[in-house]
Amino acid sequence: MTPSHSPCLIVDDEPEMCWALARILTGAGGSCQTAASAREAIALAARHPFRLAFLDAKLPDADGLDLARRLQAFHPGIRIVLVSGYFYQDDPLITAAIQSGQIAAFIAKPFAHAEIRRAIGAMPKSAPAAGRETPPVI
Amino acid sequence: MSATRYEQLYTMLLDAMPSSVLLIAQNLRILSANRNFLEKSQRTLSETIGYRLEDVLPAVILEQMNIARRVQHAIETSQSVKGERMTYRAPGVPLRIYYYSLIPFAWQGQTEGVILLMDDVTEQVRLSEEVRRVERHLASIVDSASDLIVSTDRGGRILTWNAAAERLLGYVVAEMRGRGFSELCAAGDQAEIQDVFTRIEKRRTAQVAECLFKTKQALPMLVSWVFSPLLDHSGQTVGVVAVGRDLTERRKIETELIQSQKLAALGVMAGGIAHEIRNPLAICSSAAQFLLEEKCTHAFRRECADKIYQGIQRASLIIENLLKYSGPGATSLMVIVDLVALVRETLALLAHHAALQRVEIKLSGVLTHVPVQGVAVLLQQLFMNLLQNAIKAMPNGGVVTIEMRTADGEVQIRITDTGCGVTKENLGKLFDPFYTTSPVGQGTGLGLSICYSIAKLHNGSIDVVSTEGHGSTFTVKLPLSLK
Repeated sequence: MTPSHSPCLIVDDEPEMCWALARILTGAGGSCQTAASAREAIALAARHPFRLAFLDAKLPDADGLDLARRLQAFHPGIRIVLVSGYFYQDDPLITAAIQSGQIAAFIAKPFAHAEIRRAIGAMPKSAPAAGRETPPVI
Repeated sequence: MSATRYEQLYTMLLDAMPSSVLLIAQNLRILSANRNFLEKSQRTLSETIGYRLEDVLPAVILEQMNIARRVQHAIETSQSVKGERMTYRAPGVPLRIYYYSLIPFAWQGQTEGVILLMDDVTEQVRLSEEVRRVERHLASIVDSASDLIVSTDRGGRILTWNAAAERLLGYVVAEMRGRGFSELCAAGDQAEIQDVFTRIEKRRTAQVAECLFKTKQALPMLVSWVFSPLLDHSGQTVGVVAVGRDLTERRKIETELIQSQKLAALGVMAGGIAHEIRNPLAICSSAAQFLLEEKCTHAFRRECADKIYQGIQRASLIIENLLKYSGPGATSLMVIVDLVALVRETLALLAHHAALQRVEIKLSGVLTHVPVQGVAVLLQQLFMNLLQNAIKAMPNGGVVTIEMRTADGEVQIRITDTGCGVTKENLGKLFDPFYTTSPVGQGTGLGLSICYSIAKLHNGSIDVVSTEGHGSTFTVKLPLSLK
């Protein structure tokens, strides 16, 4: 794994959610690592230079927004997309988090795959534009 | 005995009488007057004897009662007039009421005169009117009461039945008098009510009972009764007074309260439920999108279909549990409920909410079958409320321990949290309706009062010990089902 192929981080305590997100990302030519808790996510972040992370808002051991803060401390500039069924798009907490730069975007569950792909497309330029043949790292 | 002696004896007898006695001659002149008459009319004997009737009786009596003509008539016909009432109202004098009799006196077939007997019954009449007034007052109290008031003899046969009883049960007192009180109860309650009458007879203390009554329209009506012994002046039980209250309205309000509390609890759960239901929806949606957009392998198509199917099942289960919880409870239907299964089901409903709040719930103790007689939805609500409170008491997460024990025919469920606890002064108010420490809009203050009602409904109890800053333990005790 090279920095140019830096994978995405997917954090959700639902294994099926990780399955769906990972499939979309690998389908779009990316690669990813999945974590079921904040603890696992931090452990992965210590080893991988993630530039993009999809986080669930409510994790068994932390709040998605808290985890976002901690990941940014590890990898300043990491783009964080909150994917959740807990909040609404116009929830004041979400609007405030986007305005403050704590998260880059919010995607409500259930989502259209296009929304996830747009979030990958909006990744910083240095992100890998990997081909379909990149093996998934799940 | 000489005539003088007789005369003296009769005078004494007449003077000793509390009535006024006049002997009137045919010419309507007074032949004799007793002491009572002289005192009442404030005359002396010499001012009376030989005077005409109209000179000694007040003009009012003479005119109004036409007494002279009646005396005349009695003399002429030799017929007595017995017990006629005479009201005497003179200006400036209080109303007097007399009973008078006219008895003709005949000697050798010849009517010589008439005896006029007058009794002043003013005081008796006043007293009896007072008694009637008090009776009417008491009767109107009994009849104006909105509670049912029934009196019976010692054996429980109905003597009186007030207006509220007529109105609520539909029977008038005439149909009820003499019937057994317990006959009116539903078949299942008759023996218990008959027992109440036996106990009152023995212990002479008030007894309380709730029973279903049959109204005339054959509708069941739940009535809460207090039976008190009816004592006579010597303290002997001569009957029973039963005061009853229709519980239908109260039960209706309680049910509504429980229902509104349920809705409030649903509001609390809504956040968790939205999250819980959107997850399987998101998985289904994703899997469906894969199927639509990709030329995928047969194995992957199968995988997607599986995920969709499982996701839909998960979502329906959540909805099913929700409906089960929010549906109206059949309060009258008590069945055997396995408390272990019920607590587990409640935990499943709350699992997500607890996880979101980072609360761990531990279940320990007897975890096999614990049967109690109860209404499952209500018992579930009881535990739901207690657990929601426990979770709420730990805003930074924590542990809730549920411990179940059975002993002495009852089950004890102890729910302990590691939360903020309750101050000593608030502990007593905990089960009061509308008591809450939550900010406006975040708690109705009904949760624990409903828990209390539900525990009571199941012949159980609920109590709490708490240390501020260290958490609380709620203990619910319910009788084990013997069946």
